[in-house]
Amino acid sequence: MKAKDLLLSCIPLAEHQVKELVQSYGVPVPQRLVLEGDEGLPRRLPFPYPVVVKISDPQILHKSEVGGVRLGIKNRAQLERAVSRMRQDFPGKAILIEVQEPPGVEAIVGLIYDSAFGPSIMLGMGGILTEVYQDTTFRTVPIDESDAYEMISLLRGARLFEGFRNIRASKSALVSAMLAVSRLGEELGEHIAQMDLNPVIVYEDRCVAVDAKLLLRKRGSAEQA
Amino acid sequence: MKRTPSNLDALFDPRTVAVLGASRDPSKIGRLVFRYMLDSEAKLFPVNPSAGEILGHRCYPSLGSIPEDVDMAVLALPASATPQAVRECVDKGVKAIVCLASGFGETGSEGKRLEEEIKKMLASAPPERRPRLLGPSTLGVYVPRRRIETIFTSRERNPRPGPGGIAFISQSGATAVCIMEAAAAVGVGFSAFVGIGNKLDVDENELLDYFAADPETSTIIMYLESFKDGRAFLESCRQIVPKKPVIVLKAGRSESGAKAAALHTGSLAGSDRVVDGALMQARVFRAYDEEELVDLARALDHGRPFTGGRVAILTTAGGMGVIAADLLESRDRGVGLKLAPLSEGGKAKLRSLLLPFASANNPVDVTANASNDHYAAALEVLESEPDLDAILCVMQFQSPFVDERLMDIVTDWFHRGEKSIVVTSIGGELSQRALKNLTESGVPAYPSIWRGVRAIGALHKRGVWASANSKR
Repeated sequence: MKAKDLLLSCIPLAEHQVKELVQSYGVPVPQRLVLEGDEGLPRRLPFPYPVVVKISDPQILHKSEVGGVRLGIKNRAQLERAVSRMRQDFPGKAILIEVQEPPGVEAIVGLIYDSAFGPSIMLGMGGILTEVYQDTTFRTVPIDESDAYEMISLLRGARLFEGFRNIRASKSALVSAMLAVSRLGEELGEHIAQMDLNPVIVYEDRCVAVDAKLLLRKRGSAEQA
Repeated sequence: MKRTPSNLDALFDPRTVAVLGASRDPSKIGRLVFRYMLDSEAKLFPVNPSAGEILGHRCYPSLGSIPEDVDMAVLALPASATPQAVRECVDKGVKAIVCLASGFGETGSEGKRLEEEIKKMLASAPPERRPRLLGPSTLGVYVPRRRIETIFTSRERNPRPGPGGIAFISQSGATAVCIMEAAAAVGVGFSAFVGIGNKLDVDENELLDYFAADPETSTIIMYLESFKDGRAFLESCRQIVPKKPVIVLKAGRSESGAKAAALHTGSLAGSDRVVDGALMQARVFRAYDEEELVDLARALDHGRPFTGGRVAILTTAGGMGVIAADLLESRDRGVGLKLAPLSEGGKAKLRSLLLPFASANNPVDVTANASNDHYAAALEVLESEPDLDAILCVMQFQSPFVDERLMDIVTDWFHRGEKSIVVTSIGGELSQRALKNLTESGVPAYPSIWRGVRAIGALHKRGVWASANSKR
């Protein structure tokens, strides 16, 4: 099936909706603020700069390709400019303002509805090189803690979680995010065609899902994923 | 251990068998199936309305005219005649039907219609009297120990394997029969073969559970192109694998490459990595070709799983030792295990017992001038090494001072010793004879260094999986 046909047969969610969902299962996401419709900026942001401004709409899955992402916003003036520019380019769409997380080891955690095995979880090395290296491993959900650790150990990038060259990336933080995604998959996996948390940035003591995409399965599209 | 009764017993251990379409014409499959089945202990009833007698057996005009209960009915009939025959089986109270004909769902809408008709016929019987149906489009079953056989390829051109501990469930009959023939040629035996064909009734999951409970089966191998119910399959495997290894050759890997790919997770799942991950999660071994399927089965069926990952190589030639060491230790082109350093005491013993040019380090090189006794001495020393889990014997049966007794020495240590032992030998007839002899004694033995190393790797994996499982 072509990607376009798949999109037409599945219902995408907006990023802020996906984040709310995964957060409720225990996946850490950046502090955020959503401006719906023509809602104005609050007097003060409830979190510090720098921040990111993104368009958050079910119809715009690949935001950066259409100019729907502004990074590195350091102050109020820049923020106001970015928001009004988004309003111009994407009238009526929700705007997501988030804490800009620092760089770290990037993983991808995903869910897919597999036609043979049902809801399955993916772990891979994330970021822009995800598709280049295709360093991934899958398990059916639910997974337990030892499954999650084994999945990390099977990545070619596993050494990044072992203290390679002073890089500090917490395996246990990633594992707990994976277990949260597994719980989500266990409860709602029948309704989810695909989900990407990419990247999940992993630091010394925590991890955070910086971007999130989700396609719901339409009723009766059981065999499509 | 006696098997708990199953309604699939009539497929593998029938007391009475009717062959519908049994024929006097030697070119007909009904004739071949009837002739082969004569070798079994089962009582046979050829059914054919137009033949009086076949190979000295009185022919029955119909299933209904057979005066006894019929456990198994083999349908050697065209697809179009099958629904009616299934109806007769239902009326007769047959327990198991093997439907050999092709030309069903795999060919199009008319075939699909025939399948629907068969399903209706089966469903018309009350559940406790409903026959189980294998196929259609299958080579059926083969049970070497009891000579129960419905395979209709020529035995002369396509020899069958003898008895052993491996059960083979296959979605392609001919593929499995050829794989078994190749395996038999090197000394591997089977407990049973079953072709699932179009899986109209009996499917791979049920057969997996059947062989899990079968006392004659110690290892289960499968050739699959699709999973009827992947979740149930994994659940069964989780139960079985602690007791019996399961090895799957899942083909059709590129087919799912056409999978939808709107997000990363979708496009990355495309190359059947979900299958990969799911099988590993259930601790099922995945083979990627027919050779690996049988190689792993041989290793896991008799070999000793180990956890430590410390291996010694015993060889007669420096080169073979280096090749084996590379394959053992490399992660990319090997199995990522470790050559174990030998103890000082062990090395001293080896130096005193082996020839002057021998190497007492790992790889232990007894040299091509070694005799049976040198091998025996080296094996004895390695068996008593404290920090060693496995011994890969890279042997040279061609060398001048060894003879057949060398195989007994290795076999003896294999059964009596505490280390996991795998044998490889490179060569022609002589070497292949020796390997076959070892295989028949249960020793995993392979004609290439890589295949032996891979077997060691599998035994290690199984050991690690088992110990992690017991800790959970």
